[in-house]
Amino acid sequence: MTLSADERARYQRQISLPEIGPSGQERLKAARVLLVGAGGLGCPAALYLAAAGVGTLGLVDFDRVEISNLQRQVLFGSGDLGRLKVEAARERLLALNPDITVRTHALTLRADNVCEIVGGYDIVLDGSDRLSTRYLVNDACVLLGRPLVTAAIHRFEGQAMTYLPGQGPCYRCLFPHVQEGAAGSCAEAGVLGVLPGVLGTIQASEAVKIATGIGAPLIGRLLSYDALQLTFTELPVSRRPECRVCGEHPDISVPQESGGLCDTRALASARRLSAAALRSLMAVGPTLVLIDVREPREFAARHLDGARNIPLGELERRLAEIAGEGSPVFLCRSGQRSLAACAIALRAGVASPGHLEGGLLSWAAQVDASFEVPPD
Amino acid sequence: MSCTVHIPSPLRSYTDGAHRVPAEGATLGEVLSSLEARFAGIRFRVVDEQSRIRPHIRFYVNTREASELSAPVGSGDTVHVICALSGG
Repeated sequence: MTLSADERARYQRQISLPEIGPSGQERLKAARVLLVGAGGLGCPAALYLAAAGVGTLGLVDFDRVEISNLQRQVLFGSGDLGRLKVEAARERLLALNPDITVRTHALTLRADNVCEIVGGYDIVLDGSDRLSTRYLVNDACVLLGRPLVTAAIHRFEGQAMTYLPGQGPCYRCLFPHVQEGAAGSCAEAGVLGVLPGVLGTIQASEAVKIATGIGAPLIGRLLSYDALQLTFTELPVSRRPECRVCGEHPDISVPQESGGLCDTRALASARRLSAAALRSLMAVGPTLVLIDVREPREFAARHLDGARNIPLGELERRLAEIAGEGSPVFLCRSGQRSLAACAIALRAGVASPGHLEGGLLSWAAQVDASFEVPPD
Repeated sequence: MSCTVHIPSPLRSYTDGAHRVPAEGATLGEVLSSLEARFAGIRFRVVDEQSRIRPHIRFYVNTREASELSAPVGSGDTVHVICALSGG
């Protein structure tokens, strides 16, 4: 894939690096990189990859731009509020570099579509905010033989690791099993805006190295970054022979959403209530145990009558407070944290917990238009 | 024997925000007991009812992975607690 005169001028500072040169730049032009999540990590990664001349970028995200995104999701501006993230991102990236192709996937990755999407790319960067998606993407990359650069953030801390097919541990080797709610997420704990900028650009740097075949990727090394102390700690990670997807006797042949089979089975017994179903339950059952698992700040701004606040991060140790009161129904903003609360409750032996599917946003959309849900 | 324990971000609510705390013990298990005595509830976040390391947690003594609670910890060592993060 040859470079035009304009492209040689645009990428001159990069081409002049002997490690890259014209042939490395041509490899970047031929490369197809998929970014899973156009959020805090995906935005800076996409900007640098577009600027660097990666020929094809794919963006997966079903979400729309919200005002609480703008503190860290640097592809978007105030004028993009309410737009599909992938559409706003595509416009911004093409404004930066009209020579590249940007493909958009405004959907949720699932077991039945992840291989088709991942299979269309050479390198994958995972910057999603759901653990189930992290396992899906990992499994697809291992099964299809695609390099994967994974990163995650929480408050002031971030992690990154690179997987190359057949050359090191995968995400399931790093963390074989994680239940939703057990790991830190930005929605419940907050995140320093510049933190994903550091981790996202590390992911972009890894993608450029893999595409051009230079340097030493983060294979078998977990990079842990603490922005408050400004420390980078590198810790070794080995392949697990018993890994369910890349081990010696793998039993995963189709990507799986959860960290473990028991999660899926357990969550199947959680009651998933629509906003209308919850309204009916509230009308007939004044003793309904409604537990709002959002942060106290969100709860204070607006909550359903009768709901009590136990933030997700405190749920495990405060479950005793609701023992013996009947099956709880968990609430949160979008339905993600409440599902995690169900997993925690089920693990602790609570019988048939329920949650409001789609969260209070769906309550506002379907039951009470005057119910304003504050940003997370 | 005294060591220093690096606390990951999701567990700093137990340590009043401290990222490094001193602890005592000759094994990882003893170090966790020492932490629990000062920061009630923190052990259960990293080790389950059967005293197995939770699968979303990794421990390192300096830069050597410690996959059992019997792993030795020496005086002056740094114990890293790594927790899976899900934020993007």
